[in-house]
Amino acid sequence: MLTFLARRLFVMVPTLILISVLVFVIIQLPPGDFLSTYLNELQAQGEAVDPAKIEFLKRQYGLDQPIYVQYAEWAWGLLHGDLGFSFEYNLPVSDVVGDRLWLSMVLNFSTVIFIYIVSFPIGIYSATRQYSWGDYGFTLLGFLGLAMPNFLFALILLYYANVVFGTSIGGLMDPEFINQGWSFAKIMSVAEHLWAPVVVIGTSGTASMIRRLRANLLDELGKQYVVTAHAKGLSPTKVLFKYPLRMALNPFIADIGNILPQVVSGSVLVSVVMSLPTTGPMLLAALQSQDMYLAGSFLMFLALLTVVGMFISDVLLAWLDPRIRLQGGVSK
Amino acid sequence: MTDILRIKDLKVEFVLPHMRVKAVENVSFRIGAQETVALVGESGSGKSTISQAIMGLLPKTAQITKGSIIFADPKKPGTRVDLAMLDRSGAEMRAIRGGRISMIFQEPMSSLSPLHTIGDQICEAVRLHRKVGRAEAKELAVEMLTLIGFPHPKRALKTYPFELSGGLRQRAMIAMAMVCRPALLVADEPTTALDVTIQAQILRLIKDVQKELQMSVLLITHDLGVVANMADRMVVVYDGRVVESGKTDDVFINPGHAYTQSLLAAVPHFDMGPDERLRPLREIKPKTGSLLAESSQQESARETSDVPPSLALHPAMASEPVLSVRHLSKSFTTRKGNWIKSEQHLIPAVADVSLTVNRGECVGLVGESGCGKTTLSKLIMRAMDPDEGSILFRGESGQMTELTGLDEDQLNPYRKRIQFVFQDPFGSLNPRMTVQDIITEPMLIHGVGDAEYRKNMVLELMDLVGLDPRFLSRYPHSFSGGQRQRIGIARALSLKPDLLIFDEPTSALDVSVQAQILNLLKDLQRDLNLTYLFISHNLAVVDYIADRIAVMCAGRIVESAPREQLFRNPLHPYTQALLNAVPFADLEHLLDFDKIVDGKASDPARWPAPFTINDTSAPKMMQFAEDHFVRAERADFTEIAI
Repeated sequence: MLTFLARRLFVMVPTLILISVLVFVIIQLPPGDFLSTYLNELQAQGEAVDPAKIEFLKRQYGLDQPIYVQYAEWAWGLLHGDLGFSFEYNLPVSDVVGDRLWLSMVLNFSTVIFIYIVSFPIGIYSATRQYSWGDYGFTLLGFLGLAMPNFLFALILLYYANVVFGTSIGGLMDPEFINQGWSFAKIMSVAEHLWAPVVVIGTSGTASMIRRLRANLLDELGKQYVVTAHAKGLSPTKVLFKYPLRMALNPFIADIGNILPQVVSGSVLVSVVMSLPTTGPMLLAALQSQDMYLAGSFLMFLALLTVVGMFISDVLLAWLDPRIRLQGGVSK
Repeated sequence: MTDILRIKDLKVEFVLPHMRVKAVENVSFRIGAQETVALVGESGSGKSTISQAIMGLLPKTAQITKGSIIFADPKKPGTRVDLAMLDRSGAEMRAIRGGRISMIFQEPMSSLSPLHTIGDQICEAVRLHRKVGRAEAKELAVEMLTLIGFPHPKRALKTYPFELSGGLRQRAMIAMAMVCRPALLVADEPTTALDVTIQAQILRLIKDVQKELQMSVLLITHDLGVVANMADRMVVVYDGRVVESGKTDDVFINPGHAYTQSLLAAVPHFDMGPDERLRPLREIKPKTGSLLAESSQQESARETSDVPPSLALHPAMASEPVLSVRHLSKSFTTRKGNWIKSEQHLIPAVADVSLTVNRGECVGLVGESGCGKTTLSKLIMRAMDPDEGSILFRGESGQMTELTGLDEDQLNPYRKRIQFVFQDPFGSLNPRMTVQDIITEPMLIHGVGDAEYRKNMVLELMDLVGLDPRFLSRYPHSFSGGQRQRIGIARALSLKPDLLIFDEPTSALDVSVQAQILNLLKDLQRDLNLTYLFISHNLAVVDYIADRIAVMCAGRIVESAPREQLFRNPLHPYTQALLNAVPFADLEHLLDFDKIVDGKASDPARWPAPFTINDTSAPKMMQFAEDHFVRAERADFTEIAI
């Protein structure tokens, strides 16, 4: 198990390095850089630009260096926790991102937990009472959740949250707390605003998770070992929880790695609509203006989430399933 | 009343939204104390439904609509419970299920949970039905595993099912069922998925444990050989009804019902006369047409107007070898450890195999699962490349050609000459192709004949395997297992191959269907002068169909001889063990359970002296009599021969 962990951790290093190269290449792919975009904008506004100033800016930002040097500097900085410098905001990236990162994390983790908490009991119910009214009802709800555009649902929820609960429209907290230090009241305000985006972002994930759990569990319920467990005289609930449910968990856990980045990237649109102070909208803006270090940091953050998610799901799988734990090393 | 279980007028129906289907009707029988009753029937006869009704494990849609299942627990004299009336998942039923009546299942692979240790699963059963602590439950589990003959019972508690062999898994399953010392054990095809030698061990085990724990056994099986060896009484089920029941001896000697008679007549047994035939429920009469009867040589003779006439009539050519395999070896590598420091293990799947198949003969290849017989067939088909050795095959030119080392294009003409019939009639036919397409496909691939010829050929093949040509536009799912297997045979014959390889063609079929297929194959061979390589684990089947038999174990052929000779005078200890382990549906040839030893038979290193195969000795095939070869060291072997 220890060697498995060590090996798994070791593999993450080259993966991340490869991703960082890819990220950098992708950011560099569109023609031009931040300065040329910036210049175009200035010229479009009819302002004259001094060529000497451009040269100075280029040198200052290091944009005159060859690409691999730029990459090396950026990567070296990342290793030291230095995320680089945002051209657009004229601030270090870490200052620009600030609370946004933490708020996105809070939002996204709440969404993941929401998905699991809601889909789990419903999935089990649907599978054990296949073709009952309840099963059909949840199926209908699930398809609604999958089919409804997120932004539309977001608008509806915002409206009702405002009308029924008097929550202020948009954002993750009441306006008076923005740029304030953390306090209990601020946390409460965040909590009050959090549920709407969580529900909006979580519905489609929940719906597909319910379908998956139901299908997995139905497969397992028909297996021979379940009959064996019944033949022992175990009560039906105990049988369900000890045997088929544990088997059905595997794909559930294997999904963690997928669900993390999915939730993060899926929330961009919703964040724009609900004007949430999360990373999504900022990433979009940074990519548009070719603010390379800011965009790069975000993309690396997403990649890190994926890789860590995969690692967690692999470790959990190995811990839960002896077949993976004990047979993992042997291959034909 | 000494009966433990009395079933009266049982009727089980499947209630579907738009109809009711009768699964079982009018079933009555009883099981006495410490008695073994066998419930015999073919697939779909309703025998499993009866066992599920007893256990309260019927599927949700099934209902007991009539009759009673009275269980009299010997531990509580005087009490009688009607299991048919109990709530299937109620506390009372659950106390009986697993506690007083236990069950073991057919598939040792899937009937244990792969995520829980053996110990966990056994202790769970103990603690459900007895008020004992964790430690005590463990002791009871170890005690039971010892009784079941587990090599290291204490260590076994911590192993997972996938770490055990099939035989050990079935032992663990039995231990789990026995640990509460039930009054009745329901064994649903307990040995069907196991090899013969393991089957014999498990059967002996069930008998021993039954004596030790003084319980009754309800044995559900389709194998009359198992019935003859195990049961005191037998109940024959057909189409959901009991057609005959009585003492095993009486039923075997004097079967009253026509179905029982035909069932007994359909089982191949040893010492059948050379011309004696099995009698299936429904015989197929193959009709040979003109296209098939024409041999390939004739065809080429017609084209080139060259000399040789019909092949079947030429005695000198009849005994020429079609296939000759020489010293064939194939190993697989498994990798252990991590990718920094890895160890490679070579596992020999086929080692030094030599085999000759002559034209017009049927060679049987017998061995247990994992002995390499399927790998050998794949090597001959060149679906895999051998590591060493040669495969000589007589192609169209009439010359023996070396197949190893040929590339795909060069192999193509030979692919046409060797055809294959698979074990699984369900998996081997494409469900989205009609029968017409399935049988035509090989001819299309090899560009044989024109559309007219192919059409006629398909019609002729359908006649040949006894299927109605009107079925040609149907899809495989509308056929039974036996019919599908006949489609597979027709497909294999469509290219008029020189050699047909059968890989366990009847092991997925019921006995009566098996008899039908075996007879069909015999007739086809006689009429079309076909050459077969017949692979099977079932000695009786091979004995029925083959002219010469090769016995394979651990990748090696250990003995090969003409059929009568092999059975009359088996020389190799493995062949002997195999022969000793086969349960025959014949009361005069019962298994000698004392001769059955645990697990030694298939380990080459533990065979006695002249036969031992290990690091220091690797004996070669020695001739003992004409055509009778044994793998042994010469020095000792001559002594044994005298």
